[in-house]
Amino acid sequence: MRINDRVFGLLMLILAVIYGVEATKFPEPFGGSESVGPETFPIILSFILGVSAIYMMLRPDPDQAWPVKSMLIELGITALVILLFAWAIEYIGFILSAFAMVSYLCWRMGANPTKSAIIGSVSSVSIFLLFNNVLELALPLGLLEL
Amino acid sequence: METLGFLLDGFAVALTLESLSFAILGAILGTLIGALPGLGPANGVAILIPLAFSLGLSPTSSLILLTSVYAGAMYGGRISSILLNIPGDEPAMMTCLDGYPMAQKGKAAEALAISAIASFIGSFIATIGLIILAPILAKFALKFGPSEYFALFALAFATLGGITGKNQFKTLIAAALGLMIASIGIDISSGVQRYTYDILELFEGVDFIIAIVGLFAISELFFFIEKHAGDGLAKTKVNRLKLSMKDILLVMPTSLRGAILGFISGVLPGAGASLGSFISYTLEKKVIGDKGTFGQGDMRGVAAPEAGNNGAASGALVPMLTLGVPGSGTTAVLLAMLVSLNITPGPMLFQQNADLVWGVIAALFVGNLVLLLLNIPMVGIFVKLLSIPPKYLMPIVTLVAAVGIYSVSHSALDLYFMVGFGVLGYVLRKVQIPLVPVILGMLLGPEMEKSLRHALLLSDGDWAILFNSGLSITLWVVAILGLILPMIVGPLVRAKMQQKTN
Repeated sequence: MRINDRVFGLLMLILAVIYGVEATKFPEPFGGSESVGPETFPIILSFILGVSAIYMMLRPDPDQAWPVKSMLIELGITALVILLFAWAIEYIGFILSAFAMVSYLCWRMGANPTKSAIIGSVSSVSIFLLFNNVLELALPLGLLEL
Repeated sequence: METLGFLLDGFAVALTLESLSFAILGAILGTLIGALPGLGPANGVAILIPLAFSLGLSPTSSLILLTSVYAGAMYGGRISSILLNIPGDEPAMMTCLDGYPMAQKGKAAEALAISAIASFIGSFIATIGLIILAPILAKFALKFGPSEYFALFALAFATLGGITGKNQFKTLIAAALGLMIASIGIDISSGVQRYTYDILELFEGVDFIIAIVGLFAISELFFFIEKHAGDGLAKTKVNRLKLSMKDILLVMPTSLRGAILGFISGVLPGAGASLGSFISYTLEKKVIGDKGTFGQGDMRGVAAPEAGNNGAASGALVPMLTLGVPGSGTTAVLLAMLVSLNITPGPMLFQQNADLVWGVIAALFVGNLVLLLLNIPMVGIFVKLLSIPPKYLMPIVTLVAAVGIYSVSHSALDLYFMVGFGVLGYVLRKVQIPLVPVILGMLLGPEMEKSLRHALLLSDGDWAILFNSGLSITLWVVAILGLILPMIVGPLVRAKMQQKTN
């Protein structure tokens, strides 16, 4: 199968066209236009990307297999967990959110739950202490703040 | 002799207690990073950049720390080649050929020691080469005008895939993507907003450190989960070291030849460390001929690629420091660090920041010596650490990378971007689009556009200025050759490398 490259090439071609068209719509710089404005370089780029994308569609390489659906969901959840961690640092606090993320990742990578929790708590607490005391960079405590 | 004076000043910088401790710390961290399967030098340096920032280190200290990490990672890469038959990164591939058979014969410790010595010789010779060549190239590069620089940037992208590159158009796509990401934000010369869509956070553009960590480290995490690689791999036991002076003398000539070849291929655009170790190994096999037992655990078969690999790693610093054009993934990441420290590499670097450059070069010497001294007695400890399974390690690495990024700006948005780049990196790797040109595009984009506009401003909009000097025409010719040659020669060279490794 050589579907990957064709689909990705098409996406890149669309991106190239949008990127190029958007560049022509830049407002004229303050003080009149010059021989090379802010749009010149992006237009060149959109041509390069467009031509390469067309080549990719015409001469695709053999596909690398995508993971099965359950694995894609797994990867999606992984990304979501990191996003949640990022969000939670400020609201729930660094230690708790880092503990949750590291434990979850260890567990999903095949460690047993007890060991995952140990790694999670040790790493989150030690990084917190390292940053707040040794490096003097305040990471939020969140809910643990008394 | 001017150079010697500068170098002595450099040693004065590198031998202070502070610098020395950073060099030692960097060497240890680097060896670990290089040794861990799946991390690799580019990754490791990328993760440590935000940390160096948040530590508030001075430019010199952070550079010394990270060059030591870079040197250390090159050392570390061989540990998994020899013990597991799995190269830590691409250049370490050739070390598997004789290193793993040696380990199987119960000579793992000797293989590790020989490779450490060869690595040291490779780096040492190449650093001397760097000292001689860099100032000459920097002086020459002062002749470059904006149109020459534009051609040089084009050359950097064209040759990035290297002679062994698979699909040149995919390199171009990657480079274009990186350059396009770089164009997001307020245009410096005209003040026009480009692709910001009134989102305040995009006005300053996308931070390439975030992109690097996302593209490399986070996408690596996804791959680990997908491949269920959490448990790590079985490995060979390390025996007690029995190395005689005779053995060291035996690999000496091999290491010297490998070092020189490696250095040359490191300096040349498009060759890089992979080719360095490949050429060194192939040549050594030819020179020794039937007297050797190459492929079955010959010491010289370990020494040659290691010397070549490390020689190339130091050689790659020459174009990076003097022209601001990196030749490999890891040097691209080192360039990222320089740029974020507000240091513009290029010919002026040797004049404006002479103390820094020479401090770094001296640090390379010190770092390599530290590595040699560390590696022979401490190899057992590194091997132990290597046996920590990725299922415990990768989550911690992810946490450290995230904290590093968070500590720079204290904004969750940066981390969202990091995850986004991680997903992008995963998809790009799935369609076999290389990641390094994306990074290089983001790094060089602003400079490349600036030189184009500068050139066209001088010529009043006449595009012929890009080709009006002998120098720029030469650069364009090399660029075009660099783009086309791999399509013709590439399959042949790759087939040969494949044959050798099988």
